[in-house]
Amino acid sequence: MAGKLARLAWIALWPVALAAQDPRLGRVDPSVRDSVAALADSARVEGLPANALIEKALEGTSKQARGPVILAAVRALAAELRSARSALGSSSTTAEVAAGAAALHSGARPTDLADLRLRRPAQSLLVPLGVLSDLVARGVPPDSASHAVLALASRAADEDYLAFRREVERDIALGAPPAAAAAVRLNASARQALTAHGQKP
Amino acid sequence: MSEHDRDLPDLIDRVARTLREPVATDGALDARIMARVLAAPAPAAGGAWWRWLRRPALSPLGAIGLAAILAGVLLAPRVRRTPAARPTLSEVQFVFVAPRASSVSVVGDFNDWNLAATPLARAGAAGVWSVSVPLEPGRYTYAFVVDGRRWAADPDAPRAAGDDFGTPNSVVLVRGAS
Repeated sequence: MAGKLARLAWIALWPVALAAQDPRLGRVDPSVRDSVAALADSARVEGLPANALIEKALEGTSKQARGPVILAAVRALAAELRSARSALGSSSTTAEVAAGAAALHSGARPTDLADLRLRRPAQSLLVPLGVLSDLVARGVPPDSASHAVLALASRAADEDYLAFRREVERDIALGAPPAAAAAVRLNASARQALTAHGQKP
Repeated sequence: MSEHDRDLPDLIDRVARTLREPVATDGALDARIMARVLAAPAPAAGGAWWRWLRRPALSPLGAIGLAAILAGVLLAPRVRRTPAARPTLSEVQFVFVAPRASSVSVVGDFNDWNLAATPLARAGAAGVWSVSVPLEPGRYTYAFVVDGRRWAADPDAPRAAGDDFGTPNSVVLVRGAS
């Protein structure tokens, strides 16, 4: 009886499975393909950017990584996407969730993401989250990078964030320690903001 | 054999002859028949389907098949049925310097990490390679592949955090997402 029910369920759900299959997964190592597909399906059901998981698997495939390594990376990304969505809120866009996952991967904490959302409730967080990840990737300690991005959140436009990142990168390229570069540029930004409001720094 | 039995063949012959004789009909019969046919209402197209819809009958296998089709239509990703407005694309130029390379391509989240999808073209004699790619707003991870086998991050772009597969990636941030 159970076998018959399972067969009936399979027949009934076959078109769904067929519709959900992503042809790009045909490139992925057969030993982990089904697991990656299952993770992507779960993400899709949860409203997470499943495409990011498929792209991660394809990256590993193109780089000729072994199946278990690919699967571990996809699993880790799925957890980060879930955590980012939880921290940023259900109204966040898929681009924000993906950027949030990258920030978590770089060392930011979920509370940093939640704080950023609180401080910029109606604005896109794509650029601030991207700058956060980039600063960490340039060597700025995650705590310092998060502090800088959160400190700018209430007054900075996307252009200000990008300018801040450029200046920090330039200072690092000139030999400044990454944490010091971020702190100095953050102070300079605060002074500029005070001056713009007619206050003495 | 009775007298009745002896007369039977003659009777059969007479009946047969009578049946073979042409039947005299009214000359207007054809016209009357055709008039009735034309006056009768025409059957609706797809009459069999209509009859089936009014009194449906399905075999168990047919019912399962119908249920499967309905499930597929109803549960398939709704994105296909409600296309969202496409965000604006931005042209992003990827540039890489490789004087001795015979080919350079860029791979990343935007082209499924396909080595053949986005080759760079020589942009000058100094070994500069470039390509312009239209991208939707978002954060993309990418890398260059030189001569089909050597992976390299973009020296002029931020590095992606982490290195899941042994070679570094770069990041490009395309603004405009809401």
